[in-house]
Amino acid sequence: MTSVSTPKAGIITTLGAWLLAFIWISPLLFAFWAAFHPATGASSFDLFAPLTLENFSQVLAAAPFPRYFLNTFLLVSLILACQLVVCTLAAYAFVCFPFRGSGILFMLVLIQLMIMPEILLVENYRTLANLGLRDTILGMGLPYLASAFGIFLFRQTFKSIPKELEEAARLEGANAFQILMRVFVPLAKPTYIAFGLVTVSYHWNNFLWPLVVTNSVETRPTTVGLQVFATVEQGVDWARVTAATLLSVAPLLVAFILFQRQFVQSFMRAGIR
Amino acid sequence: MHIIKRNLLKLAATGLVLGVVGASQAFAQTKLDFYYPVQVGGPVTKVIDGYVAKFMAENPGIQVAPIYSGNYNDTTTKALTAAKAGTPPAIAVLLATDVFTLIDEDVVEPIDQFVKTDEDKAWLDGFMPAYLKSAQTEGHLWSVPFQRSTAVMYYNKQAFKDAGLDPENYPKTWDDMVAAGKAVTQKDASGNTTRWGIGIAGNVGSSQWMFGALAAQNGARLMNDEGTETYLTDPKVVEALQYWVDLSKKNGVHPQGIFEWGTAPADFLAGRVSMIWHTTGNLTNIRKNATFDFGVAPFPGHPNPASTLGGGNFYIFKDTSDEQKQAAFKLAKFLTSDEILADWAVQTGYVAPRDGAWKTQTLTDYTAEEPNALVALKQIPNAVPEFSTHENARTTKILNDALAAALTGNKTPEKALADAQTEIDKILKQYR
Repeated sequence: MTSVSTPKAGIITTLGAWLLAFIWISPLLFAFWAAFHPATGASSFDLFAPLTLENFSQVLAAAPFPRYFLNTFLLVSLILACQLVVCTLAAYAFVCFPFRGSGILFMLVLIQLMIMPEILLVENYRTLANLGLRDTILGMGLPYLASAFGIFLFRQTFKSIPKELEEAARLEGANAFQILMRVFVPLAKPTYIAFGLVTVSYHWNNFLWPLVVTNSVETRPTTVGLQVFATVEQGVDWARVTAATLLSVAPLLVAFILFQRQFVQSFMRAGIR
Repeated sequence: MHIIKRNLLKLAATGLVLGVVGASQAFAQTKLDFYYPVQVGGPVTKVIDGYVAKFMAENPGIQVAPIYSGNYNDTTTKALTAAKAGTPPAIAVLLATDVFTLIDEDVVEPIDQFVKTDEDKAWLDGFMPAYLKSAQTEGHLWSVPFQRSTAVMYYNKQAFKDAGLDPENYPKTWDDMVAAGKAVTQKDASGNTTRWGIGIAGNVGSSQWMFGALAAQNGARLMNDEGTETYLTDPKVVEALQYWVDLSKKNGVHPQGIFEWGTAPADFLAGRVSMIWHTTGNLTNIRKNATFDFGVAPFPGHPNPASTLGGGNFYIFKDTSDEQKQAAFKLAKFLTSDEILADWAVQTGYVAPRDGAWKTQTLTDYTAEEPNALVALKQIPNAVPEFSTHENARTTKILNDALAAALTGNKTPEKALADAQTEIDKILKQYR
């Protein structure tokens, strides 16, 4: 009996998974469809509508996308590099060098997880204005250079690494920094990849803060540049919006497809879903 | 103490900068940040850059940085954030309806205090009174109209003809509109409607605008000039909402639930809806993409036709130097000159808020070619300002939610508006 019902259940699960996957990916599929068709075709779903690349050329002509990409790339790399260093060191200290008040300090870090960055918009802006860092990529990244989420995640990972490995390294004569670099960081690699993906996609998509703090083409990321196509007042020109959206997510999408296996495995091991 | 110190530092820094600039140039440059939103299609940022370049060529002492800052909401957030941090833009284009918010936050200067010479006064007198009205409160004029719009009715002449109606005879009253709607509505064999009569956008952010027009057509108003009172329980206001709800519920000429502003033009162009209420800013888009004969009509009345005005004004900010404020005023005057407004209207579809602009060569040529553009102009004297009160973001949201509740059938119009009025009263009490 069970031998009959199990394949059936399996089929249903598979079908359900495909259905959910289809629902999940359908906006992206629509974006692909609309971006390659003329504006009139986008709303009527005419299967024989002519294919066109005109939307892309219009979008590229309307905004300096190469510059925006460079800015986004610089911003995301800056944030990722600093977060990795700061969070690693902080998590290492929390795990291996307990000091008086470290418990409370860690609690404070956790509390920060609960504060939406938007609440701090005015304060952060004021600080940046006083530092003279308005309209710079460094200023845009500054509030995000440390990440409470990263500290928390790395701390949990470091804690799960057996003490024996650390002690063995110490017996071999490794100092604190060498233990970190040779033992902890390599063993936490899946967590690093998973965290990197989360933080890159978050900051790739971030909109409000970059919009508020930047003024010029030289510093603005793609998300802010993209907004110019959302012509709310006249109704939405889906063809151009989707073309611009595809352009701005393309690098992430390509990277994800290329490194898909590694990403999925990292997520499984790091326990973020 | 802290503030004095900071100001001293700033003073020293300014001195230093001025010194350096002064050494390299014969005159000191006044620098302006100018925030503006983009709400419509087309190369708007390039057009603005062009105007600003022209302004700077005429005023070599002033250097303007035009800063595109998202849509209206984004621009308001950005400008308020910058103002709160002590580094406001000198001038910004923000919603006309934000006037109370900006006054309450104490970040803008009234514009009329800059008007001194006869030439300034003549410039101010050139604006259409209907457009100035929303900026006048507490005995001052707080902003000047720039990218203003008004809503009109686009109708499908072909659909009218198919239904045996005279395509030149557009609906002039509420009853006309229902009758025309019934005539043009089409159903397929299984009873599904394939073509609706009319679509009025009821989504958040648009419904308060459309509803303002409906209320005005019924001879009611939604709020007072001081922005401290709303009149949502007025029977005339309730009747207006009842009419809107009945368009789909009783008469079956309007799509059920909430009709979306963003997709309304696409629905109209695809022939799925025969009449839409939409902004004049859509004329170019519809003209370019319509595959059928269409008309532009003023709004109907019950009995008196009325529309609402929307769009953005120039605000001059506090906390900048006097030179910057003067320069900002000069820029506002330049960008609202007849010539620029006429060009702006042709490039974007906004309605030029000055009579003089409509008499320029640019606009007379345009209206000769596209007489539909004149419909908006004729309608302006009958138009009322958009819903605007103190704490505007909150009150508008309450009104939006009430309209949505009535349109989706969750509440009766009467109950929805009464609930909204109670909630708004709580918020506005402190301003009375």
